[in-house]
Amino acid sequence: MNTVKKVLDKILAVVCIALFSFLVLLVTWQVVTRFVFNSPSVFSEELAKYCFVWLTLFGSAFVFGENGHMAIDFVREKFPDKMRMGVEVFIELVVIVFAVLVLIMGGYSATSLAWNQMNATLHVPVGYLYAAIPLSGIFIVYYCINSIYLIVTKKKSLEEIDLSTTPKAKSDLQGGM
Amino acid sequence: MDVALQAALILLICVAFLLIIGAPIAVSLGIASVLAMISIMDFNNSLLTSAQRMFAGTNSFTLLAIPFFVLAGVIMNNGGIALRLINCAKVLSGRLPGSLAHTNIVANMMFGSISGSAVAAAAAVGSTMGPLQAKEGYDRNFNAAVNIASAPTGMLIPPSNTLIVYSLVSGGTSIAALFMAGYIPGIMWGLGCMIVAYFMAKKRGYKSDERVSLRVALRVFLDAIPSLFLIIIVIGGIIYGVFTATEGSAIAVVYSLLLSFVYKTIKVKDLPRILLDSTRTTSIVIFLIGVSSIMSWVMAFTNIPGIIADTLLALTDNIYIILLIMNLVLLIVGTFMDPTPAVLIFTPIFLPIAVSFGVDPVHFGIMLIFNLSIGTITPPVGPVLFVGAKVANLKIESIIKPLIPFFVVTVAILIIVTYIPSISLFIPELFGLVK
Amino acid sequence: SEDETVAVNGESSQKTQVLKVAFNQPDTHPQYKAMEQFGEELKEKTNGAYEIEMYPNELLGAQRETIELVQSGTISMSIVAGSLMENFNDEFVVFNLPYVFDSKDHQLSVFNNSDIIGNLYSSVEDQGMSVVGAFHGGIRNVYNNVKPIETPEDLKGLKVRIIDSDTNIKMMEKMGGVGTPMGQGEVYTALQSGVLEGGENNELIYANLKHSEIAKYYSYTQHLMIPDYLIINNDLLKGMSEEHRKIFEEGFAKAVDNAVNLWDTEVEKAITDAETDGAEFNKPDIKVFQDAVQPLLEEKLSSEGAKALYDKVREAAK
Ligand code: NA
Ligand code: NA
Repeated sequence: MNTVKKVLDKILAVVCIALFSFLVLLVTWQVVTRFVFNSPSVFSEELAKYCFVWLTLFGSAFVFGENGHMAIDFVREKFPDKMRMGVEVFIELVVIVFAVLVLIMGGYSATSLAWNQMNATLHVPVGYLYAAIPLSGIFIVYYCINSIYLIVTKKKSLEEIDLSTTPKAKSDLQGGM
Repeated sequence: MDVALQAALILLICVAFLLIIGAPIAVSLGIASVLAMISIMDFNNSLLTSAQRMFAGTNSFTLLAIPFFVLAGVIMNNGGIALRLINCAKVLSGRLPGSLAHTNIVANMMFGSISGSAVAAAAAVGSTMGPLQAKEGYDRNFNAAVNIASAPTGMLIPPSNTLIVYSLVSGGTSIAALFMAGYIPGIMWGLGCMIVAYFMAKKRGYKSDERVSLRVALRVFLDAIPSLFLIIIVIGGIIYGVFTATEGSAIAVVYSLLLSFVYKTIKVKDLPRILLDSTRTTSIVIFLIGVSSIMSWVMAFTNIPGIIADTLLALTDNIYIILLIMNLVLLIVGTFMDPTPAVLIFTPIFLPIAVSFGVDPVHFGIMLIFNLSIGTITPPVGPVLFVGAKVANLKIESIIKPLIPFFVVTVAILIIVTYIPSISLFIPELFGLVK
Repeated sequence: SEDETVAVNGESSQKTQVLKVAFNQPDTHPQYKAMEQFGEELKEKTNGAYEIEMYPNELLGAQRETIELVQSGTISMSIVAGSLMENFNDEFVVFNLPYVFDSKDHQLSVFNNSDIIGNLYSSVEDQGMSVVGAFHGGIRNVYNNVKPIETPEDLKGLKVRIIDSDTNIKMMEKMGGVGTPMGQGEVYTALQSGVLEGGENNELIYANLKHSEIAKYYSYTQHLMIPDYLIINNDLLKGMSEEHRKIFEEGFAKAVDNAVNLWDTEVEKAITDAETDGAEFNKPDIKVFQDAVQPLLEEKLSSEGAKALYDKVREAAK
């Protein structure tokens, strides 16, 4: 696996872990302020919401890097090897189109439109909060290009390539609820 | 062409094509929605609106309960809490023939009542029970089937992440009411599994456990009390309005973490890995929710749900038949789609129709989740089926046969839950949560 | 644009522009009904050049998000709470402060007075939108399950649900209570369980959400009278012919009046419903509350423009 992917994986993992830990502390603190000190906190709920969106945007990019998003693959698995690799490249291209159109281009428009709109509670422009959208889009595009490169150079199906660079916990909780 | 029809066709064809070739479900829904939007609206506005919907669709304090319940589940799974509940379940069901099968079912229900995820239960309980059952000489396919069939009870017995998603897409149906409504149907599902397991075990000649001494039983209960106490704090707190579902879920995290530290099963250095794992599960689900909100927006903008409703109502105006049609559609959808995307897609279409006939949104939600929960254990796409087979080290094909009687019973209970609203609404009414 | 469809009725093949309007309340709301009637008249008077299509129940998104859709021109118009406009120009804060308006009539006279409004409505033009005008959005009063409120002393220690904002928390503190931000969906159970002792809202919400069943003391503190604005995409407004724009603005003024009349009828009905549930209404002397929040007004009216606007509004009350 190339260094760029490893570094990006690491950065996203650290950011997500930090945001997640912060969220747990923030919401716990909110409960404490409301019920122990009887003085509700104004900004915690609003801040938590934005940290949460950021966590899931960056987390989603990270999961694209592991080819881990939910898919219905029982049909694809029946394809012959060559065709399967072709379909996989096509799917990566579809993801790129989605990321470029919605996350990068749409996200950029949304960010610039909201650049002067203030968030009343956090006292920051809404545009700053939206900026995570195009950013995550760029990461996703990189991961997809990397996946295509791996399929083409290794001449293997993406399923057979181990994309994860970070260890997973003991339990198996992927997908579904 | 009519814009609604045009948008609907683009949506349907794109989604179907991309899903079949195995593109991520989220991207399939997303790109199809954007294309549908572009076909009826200005190009740049379509992109901007899509990005905004993705952000807004997930920018919700309610949804924040999902990562916390997921995290709490991972902690409980790694932290010895699941194990204590299983021991407790073993004492509770020791006197029945095929007692280990019943232990498995009761453990899944207990695990379900502290975790929001059916997959988590199937993994945790299945991997613990499997070896014990094998030692007693149970058929491994039967064991796996029992575990798989009873794991989805956790999606109905609160807390339930899928009910949280439904609460949000149904326009803010009370989470407390939904949680309370899930108890009886969830327990009925569990009891149905126990009845099937009872007859299957009897036929196979599986024995009951030898009687456990009162002292041992007492010790097991005492040991499980701190874990069971979690249910009382979290669910009690949500029902009595002491805190919101999200705050309750954060408390579940803190409590289970403290308990795991006390049990010395989790160390601080394990935390990054646990958090990252929870990030994966959360991101997959929440990304999907964000993208679905692009689709819901296109559908609302072009009034697609209204057109589907008109079409359905032109066929019949008998609510019993309409509910039957909805159930059939959902059962078919559930065979190849996970509950979360199915809830996101079908709630905006079906709920308004049901409500116009006076069906309570809480009751409808339980029917919907019950139905889609059955889908988690059916091939070709069944997350609980997959995980259950994986922890048992078995091929899916061999588990299907012993699963069939469980399918029959759960579908029968689904019909009861659909046509007798008070099964769902009795408890929430008792607490004054449904008016 | 794609919103245009060819009107086939009659011999004219004139294009009809459909104005899509986002709304966060159900289709039974007075503002919704008034807008629908406005739409019918607009279509008739412009010979089918314009038509209004309402999207109730947050179908197109929450209010803040629909503002962005109006700015970008994805939708034509939206009805949004006054407090949201502060995020685009902080002078809008003046109309959202406690006790700015003495009565509904005072409020409406201010919004009909172009000398007072000045260029406030067009001040957000550079952000892609314009304010058409304001609807009366009800008068917010305090209700609770302990006792009728007569003075700030009576509110002491009572947790009152408010909409999450710094201004509201401080306002409730000055009025004597403890402002507690909470989503509306959770207020009923919170009142029942004792997490909250009260809330503050207009009579319609109080009765419709059945808070009247569990918090029976409704006291006319009349502290807030936040307007709802109809905002419109700026290019669309600028693209209207002079004649159409005149019809549009006159039609809206009429819609505001219609909404007020419908509102009054609804309030009467809400009061009767609430009384059936056991609610009791009382009218405290609001002077003490007005004095109590005075320091907050001074704090919030920080800019020269806001201060001048406030003075004009108060002048109109005399
Ligand atoms: Na559960
Ligand atoms: Na399935």
